Order: sequence, then structure tokens, then C-alpha cells
Amino acid sequence: MGASAETVLFWIFAVPLIASAAGVVAARNPVHAAMSLVSAFFWLAGIYVLLTAHLLAFVQVIVYAGAIMVLFLFVVMLLSLTDAELGLEKLSALKWVGVVGAAGMLVLVVSALAQSGPRAMRAVGADFGTVRAVGRILFTQYLLPFEATSVLLLVAIVGAVVVAKEKI
Amino acid sequence: MPSGQDIAALLPFLLLVLGALVLMLSEVFLRSGGRGYQSGLTIAFAAAAALAVPFAPQQVLFGGQAVSDGFAGFVTMVVCAGLALSALLGRGWLETRNMERGEYYALALFGASGMVLLGMATDLLLAFIAIEVMSLAVYSLAAYPRRGQRPPEAAFKYFILGSFASAILLYGSALYYGATGSTLLSAMRGGGGALLAAGLSLILVGLAFKVAAVPFHAWTPDVYEGAPTPATAFMAAGVKAAAFAFLTRGVLAMVAGTPFAVGNELGGVLGLLAVLTMVVGNLFALPQRNVKRMLAYSSIAQAGYLLVGVIAASRPESRAQGTSAVLVYLAAYAVTVIGAFSVLAVMEKREPTPDAGSADAWDVSRFAGLASRRPWLAFAMAIFMLSLAGVPPTAGFVAKLSVFQAAAGAKAWGLVVVGVLTSIMGVYYYLRVVVAMYMQPAEMEEPAAAPPTVAIAIAVAALLVVVVGFSPEPLTAWARAALLRM
Amino acid sequence: MVPGTHYLALAAFLFAIGFAGVLVKKNAIIVFMCIELMLNAANLTFIAFARQSGSMSGQAIAFFVIAVAAAEAAVGLAIVIAVYRTRGTISVDEVEALRDR
Repeated sequence: MGASAETVLFWIFAVPLIASAAGVVAARNPVHAAMSLVSAFFWLAGIYVLLTAHLLAFVQVIVYAGAIMVLFLFVVMLLSLTDAELGLEKLSALKWVGVVGAAGMLVLVVSALAQSGPRAMRAVGADFGTVRAVGRILFTQYLLPFEATSVLLLVAIVGAVVVAKEKI
Repeated sequence: MPSGQDIAALLPFLLLVLGALVLMLSEVFLRSGGRGYQSGLTIAFAAAAALAVPFAPQQVLFGGQAVSDGFAGFVTMVVCAGLALSALLGRGWLETRNMERGEYYALALFGASGMVLLGMATDLLLAFIAIEVMSLAVYSLAAYPRRGQRPPEAAFKYFILGSFASAILLYGSALYYGATGSTLLSAMRGGGGALLAAGLSLILVGLAFKVAAVPFHAWTPDVYEGAPTPATAFMAAGVKAAAFAFLTRGVLAMVAGTPFAVGNELGGVLGLLAVLTMVVGNLFALPQRNVKRMLAYSSIAQAGYLLVGVIAASRPESRAQGTSAVLVYLAAYAVTVIGAFSVLAVMEKREPTPDAGSADAWDVSRFAGLASRRPWLAFAMAIFMLSLAGVPPTAGFVAKLSVFQAAAGAKAWGLVVVGVLTSIMGVYYYLRVVVAMYMQPAEMEEPAAAPPTVAIAIAVAALLVVVVGFSPEPLTAWARAALLRM
Repeated sequence: MVPGTHYLALAAFLFAIGFAGVLVKKNAIIVFMCIELMLNAANLTFIAFARQSGSMSGQAIAFFVIAVAAAEAAVGLAIVIAVYRTRGTISVDEVEALRDR
């Protein structure tokens, strides 16, 4: 892929990504927010492809946009929120804390990134980001976190069932 | 590749997970009316995990992602003791409310397994996953009772702020990864620069949420009040121990590894957090008439004293002293706070709908005249209150003394002064409960009898607090021996 | 070639949007979606650094984060349902049986 093509693609993915992320925050209706979030996940998957993370791009679409967002939408539908509950926004004080805090954090991180300087992307082999290569790391270097994650998923299942049950 | 030694070192964690699986299956296969065996099983697995600690090989595991050292072993013991005591409390509390199910104990065991793993973690990714295992279990325990609005609300607030904190922690870890090329704590060695500093400060914010340090404490009182009392006791003892264990490890790795002026920068930030936490926690506890909320603010204040210990551990001249002071403090606090919550569980008002005028469910006036009606219960509560206040001869005094000694060893006189002054402030609100029990006439109806298991939990906790108060040497010696291996 | 800093700045923007959203929004489900945005920003950072350094561990970490996000979503949405059931609202401001009085 040519350098200019990559730049063009980057902006094609990045601008709608930020726009749909902002859409999540701007939306009043949770269904609109969820749809914006789904589109953000899709654009993000495009960015992942640019970063040679092909497997993760697929996982992003299948697990995040597919499974997790369906769960969100299910709950939104289940609660059948009326307009009254969508209501007004939070107290203005906390709102300003949020905006100022986010801006401060952005300045902190971006200035830190700027100080660490632009680093050129390293050339990578053909198997970078493939199922085989990522899988090998998962089961060797990251075996302990992998097994701990299996416990985590079990906790989540038990916890979700216990919490959502109507009666104990 | 992991060896058999690696697996053996993980044995406490694996036993707790196994216990959780057994408890879940017990609900399927043994539907008999008597469920008493479930808390018994929980205690048995907690004891097995604690007994496995001395046999765990002391070594670095899985390429440095975890370590099984004396420090982790001590934290495991504290978590297991907290789990066993809160299971005893849970047995009585849940049974009288007709909500005892195996899932409760399974979630508690899962939570404990996350805490044990967090105590061993020396890698940010593993710590993140361990924090999530612990947190998801504790959120679910907080929402466990289906009575009234409070438990789900407590879980809700805990969840929103907890996962917000986790996300901040994770983003900090991502920046850390960028700066060092790894998520191992040991990778900090030789690193530096603005990116690492930004990552570390975000990680610190995330952990400050988890240990409830001011100004990231806002969730604590609501969550502690709304969660069922046995779950509150478990999270006060266990979550605090595990989160502080990882915080201590992280701070020590930071001091060991970084070239930038950590002594000043980090010490300053942590010192500010500690002072704020001690002052605000005690100040907000002062006007609380609701004893459960008072204990919540007290737990914030205790986090401040623990931070003083962490700061002492970060200075080279008081490294060992500070580390062992943190451990002693965690052990003393865990036992004391579970005892206090157990007495509270006996005293709390039980209504068909807990929301109807339940603001006074834990009011201090419920303790009025308790000494004449239930002398032993009142005596135990007095012991726990004195221990939280740090009055000798209790475990709380030993803990506070060792933390302040360590801080003095680090020449952090300002922290010592603030610590002593705020401790004196704390005496006031702890003694209010004691005064109500011993000097005020009884107003309320006769309190319900303590279920036998809860009585056992209270007796064991009170005994431990007093024994450690009179002869602290075994505990402090054990904590001194349990040093960190980085 | 797009420099790595572009990707990292993009992630920082995404994180800031999510961060602001958590504190600004009132609807609990949208707050939760903003937390998901923050997790995604962290993931993008991991993957961008992995590409920059040519080591794949960042991609493996992103994998774990997706699993954690799924687990969090399951429990979190169950809690939202439990809150809704007991009080009929999920507005963050109106959930206030527990507070200092």
C-alpha cells in the first residue's frame, strides 16, 4: 500500500470515528447513542486494519459491534425508556468538571506524545497480526492472563445471572 | 513455558476457584433445606488456600507476570481470613433473611481468588484482569439481595465509578506499554520521559479509586451503606488489602526503576493524597449518626493511614519498615472491620421493606443501652471501636503505631503529625458508639439474638484483636519476614 | 506513511470524548457506552504502540481487553436492569436513596 493511500484511508476512517464517538455523547436517546457507538466500532476496525491488526479488526466487528452492542440494545429495548427518563442532562457543575477534566487529560497525553517525538513505523513481517501469530503469543507469553480471563468470564456469567434474577 | 513450580505457586488461587465451582455445583445437586454446609465449605476452601501458602515455592512466575513471595503470601492469608469470617457472618445474616444460596458464597470465593491474584501480580495486564475478577464479583455481591432499592443502587454506583476507574487504569497501562515496551512492572527500570509519567499518573488515579483515596472516594459511603452487611465487610477487608498490595508493589517498582526525581514528585503526590484522605475521611465521619456510613468514612480514613505506610515503604531508609507496617495494618484492619460489621449486622433493623424510613436502620441510637442488655456484644463492639480508633491494647493501636514509626523512620514528620491529629479526631466518633452503649438508657426494642455463626465470627475477631493488641510480636515478626521480591 | 503519533493522538481524542461523556451524561446506559469508548481508546493505543515497536504483545493485550469489556457489559447491564426494576429510572441523578443526610 502506498504511503499516500494510507494517509487518505487514515483520514477516511478517523474523521467519522471521532464524529460517531461525539455522537454517542451528544445523543439523548440511548438507541441513537448505541447506533453511533456501533458505527464508531466499525471505523475503529478500519483503523486496526491500517495498523496491521487484521485479527483484531475482525474480533472488533464480531465481538464488539456484534455481541456486546446487541447486549446493549437488548437492555435498551427491555427497559423501554420513555422520553421522560431520557430527560435533561446532569448538573452543570459536574458537566464542567467533565469537560475540563477531559480537556486536561487530552493536553497531558498529547503533550506527552509530542515530547516522546514522532517515531517511524517499523517494518513488520507478513505474519504480523495474523491468527497464528497472535494465537501463539496468547498461549505462551500470556498464558496466565488467558487462564485468569477464563475465571473472569465465569464470574461475569454467575454475577449477571445472580444480579438480574427477579427473586432470591 | 510454565513449569509445575509455577502451578504450585498458584495453588491458593486455584483452590479458591475450585471452591467457587464446588459451591455452584452444590446448589445444583444438593437442594436440601439445610444450607449450612455451604458456608462450611467456603470456610474449608479459604482455610485450604491459606494452608497452601507456606508450601508455595517462592519464585517469580510466568516470565515475571506474577510473583509468589512472602508479601503475596501474607496478603493471601489476610484475604482468606476475611473470606472465612465474612462467610460466617453471611451464613447468619442470609439465613435469617431467607436468602442463603450457593451463588453468594461462589461469588465471594471468586472475588477472593481475584484478590489473591492481584496480591501476586507484577504485571499491569494481569493486575487489570485480577481487579476485574475481584470487582465483578463484589459488584454482584452488592446487588445480591432483591429487597428494596438500596442494594442495586449500591452496585450501580460501584459499577459505574469502578469501571470508569478501570478504564483510566487501562489507558494508563497503554501509555506505560508505549513508554517501556512491556506491561511488566519491572520494565520501568531505566525508562523515563513524559509518556511514562503520564501513564503512571493515570494508573495512580485508577488505583486511588479502588483504594478509595480522597478525592476519588465519593462512591465508598453509598456502596458500603447499600450493600448487604456481610458483603460490605468482605469488601472492606478484602478489596482494600488486595488493592493496597498492588499499589505498594507498583510504588516500590516505580522507586526502584525510574531515573526521574521520584522521591520528590511521587512522594509529593502520594503525600497529598494521604493527607487529604486522612483529613476528609475523618472529617466526614464526625457528623455521621448512621453507624454503617460512619464505618464507610472510617474506611476512607484508614486508607489514608495505609498510604502513609506506602510512602514510608517508598523511601529507601524505611523500605522494610514501611512494607511490614502496611501488611500489619491490612491484617489488623481486616479483622477489626469484619468484627464491627458483624455486630452491626446483629443490631441492624430488619423490616419487610427495608426502604420504609430505613435511614435509621443503622442509627447510633439503636446501640443505646446495649451494655445492660447484651454485655458481651457491647464489649466486643467496644473492642472493635477502640481498635479502629487506635487505642491500646488493640490490634488497631499496633497497626497505627507501626505505620507512624515507619513514617518517622522516613523522616516524614508532617505525615506523622497529621496522622496523629486525625486519629485523635477519630476517637470522638468511635467513642460515640461506646458512649451510647454504656452510658445511655435503652430506648429501642430488645435486639434480635445473634445467630450462632455470627456470634462465632464476632468472638474470633474480638479475640484476635485483643491478642494482637497484647502481644503484637508474632504478627509484626511475620510481616517483617514477608518481604517483597521484586 | 502515517506516523504513529497520529494514531495515538486519535486514541487520546477518543479517550477524552469517553471521559467527558461519563461525567456529562445522565442516562446510565449512555454513561456505560462512554466507558466502552474509553476501553476502545486504550485498545487503539495498545495496537498503535505494538505496530510502532513491531512487537505483537500489544495486540494480545487488546484481545484481553475485549474479553474484559464483554464481561463488564454482562454484569453492568444486569445491574442496570436490577436498578430499573426497583425504581423505574436509570437516570444517574435520580438514583439517590443512598446519600449523606
